[in-house]
Amino acid sequence: MRDFTATRRSTLKLLAAGTGVLAAPAIIRPAFAQSKVVNITTYDKFVPQSFIDQFQKDTGIEVRIRLTDDQGKQYNVLSAEGETPSTDIVTVTGHRLSQFIGSKLLTPLDTARLKNWDKLASAYKGAPQLTVDGTVYGVPLLAGFEGLARNTDYTKASDSWAIMFDQEYKGLTSYIISDFLQITMRYQGNDGDFVTYEGKPEEAQAATNKARDYLIQNKDMVRKYYDAGSEVQQMFVNEDIYVAHSWSGPAAKLIMDGHPIEISVPKEGTYGFLYSFNVVKNGPNTDAAYTFLDAILSSPEIGAAMSRQSGFASAFDGVDKVLNDKERAAMTLPQEQTERIQFFSSVNRDMKNEMVDKAVAEIKAA
Amino acid sequence: MVDTTTMQARSTGSLRVPRYAGWIGKAVGSGLYRHTIGRLADSRRARLALLAGVPLFWIAALHIGPIFQMGRISFMADYPQAPDGGSAYTLANYELFFSDQLYFMPFIRSLIFAAVVTISTLVIVYPVAYYVAKIVQPKNRMRALLLLLIPFWAGELIRTFSVIMLLANRGAVNVALRELGFIDRPIPMLYTSFSLSFGVIYLLALYMLLPLYSAIEKIPTPLIHAAADLGAGPFQRFRRVILPLSKDGIVSGCSLVYLTSVGVFAAPLLLGGPNTVIFPEVIATLFHSSNDKWPEGAAFAMLLLAVSLSTVGLFMRVIGGRSVRLM
Repeated sequence: MRDFTATRRSTLKLLAAGTGVLAAPAIIRPAFAQSKVVNITTYDKFVPQSFIDQFQKDTGIEVRIRLTDDQGKQYNVLSAEGETPSTDIVTVTGHRLSQFIGSKLLTPLDTARLKNWDKLASAYKGAPQLTVDGTVYGVPLLAGFEGLARNTDYTKASDSWAIMFDQEYKGLTSYIISDFLQITMRYQGNDGDFVTYEGKPEEAQAATNKARDYLIQNKDMVRKYYDAGSEVQQMFVNEDIYVAHSWSGPAAKLIMDGHPIEISVPKEGTYGFLYSFNVVKNGPNTDAAYTFLDAILSSPEIGAAMSRQSGFASAFDGVDKVLNDKERAAMTLPQEQTERIQFFSSVNRDMKNEMVDKAVAEIKAA
Repeated sequence: MVDTTTMQARSTGSLRVPRYAGWIGKAVGSGLYRHTIGRLADSRRARLALLAGVPLFWIAALHIGPIFQMGRISFMADYPQAPDGGSAYTLANYELFFSDQLYFMPFIRSLIFAAVVTISTLVIVYPVAYYVAKIVQPKNRMRALLLLLIPFWAGELIRTFSVIMLLANRGAVNVALRELGFIDRPIPMLYTSFSLSFGVIYLLALYMLLPLYSAIEKIPTPLIHAAADLGAGPFQRFRRVILPLSKDGIVSGCSLVYLTSVGVFAAPLLLGGPNTVIFPEVIATLFHSSNDKWPEGAAFAMLLLAVSLSTVGLFMRVIGGRSVRLM
């Protein structure tokens, strides 16, 4: 190999190349800020590809999707970007909205700019979960709940969360610790959403500790703690687990795909949540974001496609009529089970987060 | 400083100055250029300094910079900061680790796990590296090495999912055992210490293989034959000749595998079970938790970095001696 000689010309060329590489981050940000682009951070399979293709064709606006699987990760990225976010729309659950608004990451939604706003189901239009001090912050998309999922081939029917602690299924259960801790609190007769514990930290701590200790005591029941919906789907398909706490979407998707899975709301009740698209404060392409939001609301077929892909129930009006019987059955609960769902509240979030996070770390470390 | 020869060449007009067309020519001919970069580029020493400046800036900005930023956050009371607020500096994030037993167990578990994985990888990979370096015909060595490297062309996540497909209840191993009539019910292999260790060893084997191959390949084969001629048995030849002469590769491979496995995150998340939670998962939980706990997470990450680097430094000093260097 020839020795490298640092001539004037080679030095300048290398310097130029090096400077170009180092300047790349500064070039990337303006690339996100093009009027014909909309950057969306969302969950896998939330936005149907057919809709994206049609939207791009109709408007000439390029849709760039970034996937997330966790509200915390999404919040962290947005917080780290600070005043110069590179995303225009994020997908926030109703009960996490106050955290995003408190950190000044979102901008109020100008519903007047959405001519299809009326195409939302009446129950979700300006839903309380998405309204803070009379201001609407999100376009509701999909609704879900924390359900009890079981493999119908290997388990008996159950109307109680107690099945998660049944020795018959030792090593065959799975859950998201933070979510199931709150359900366990409810199972034990306490308030897993901490709304009634406002100003009563001792009472909240005692209830949290009781659920934490119970989960530690029953740790041998668990095959795996999981984080993302795709993980619980994979475990059910591989028959690594028979019973699980699951978000309704991933379980409904398995049912739609023909797997022997059932999702239900046990008699002790559970919690529900509402996903929404939210406009990011100082986002680089706000006009394109509004164009996108208006387009996604335009027809129930789009809502149905989102439901089919994600397994969650749509917030758009008329979607029920578009879904087929099998899809409707996978996503619909008997009336008495629907009544057992209580939507997560944004009240007393700080206390809840603090105590739940600590308990989660303790359960993992035990 | 301009070289004397360059100055002389300039004064006599014998220096060949490159000519550029267009805007580059205008820029190079401008006074600003001639008095700044142009003057620096006249000196060989300055040219080398300029060239070294780019990679040094790269390392500082993209490698040391993030660690420095992580260190800075680890001393902050709040992060991410509110847009209109500042944050005080504190040692409380480090104190939390020492005051709360909760985090100590996963920390120790991580160090032990990394040590066990490193030793296991060495034991598994050493014979493979020896086989390729010394047993395989020289003309086929590159081919054999390439065969071993092919799985590593796939991404880490893809290889992790391949382990899942192998060890799941309905995975290849359980299906094969059931079809052969050895078992009636699947053996739960996934989400256990076994699956985690298996997966991490598989993922990191390359970091052990290459340094070992490189070191063993350099051992003169006549030396091994001479030891045999002098009556040394296979074990004695290995202990007295091969092992000491491959020490550089062992130390390099162990250091790389240990440092990687102590901070491994994705594989434990996908392959581990409820009783295999290790420290990087704890750190990640702090970053993802509902309440902003970046400072605690950053402090724990700095502690892990300090302890793992110290461990490797000690290992290299004790085992490696002066001749040892990484790769």
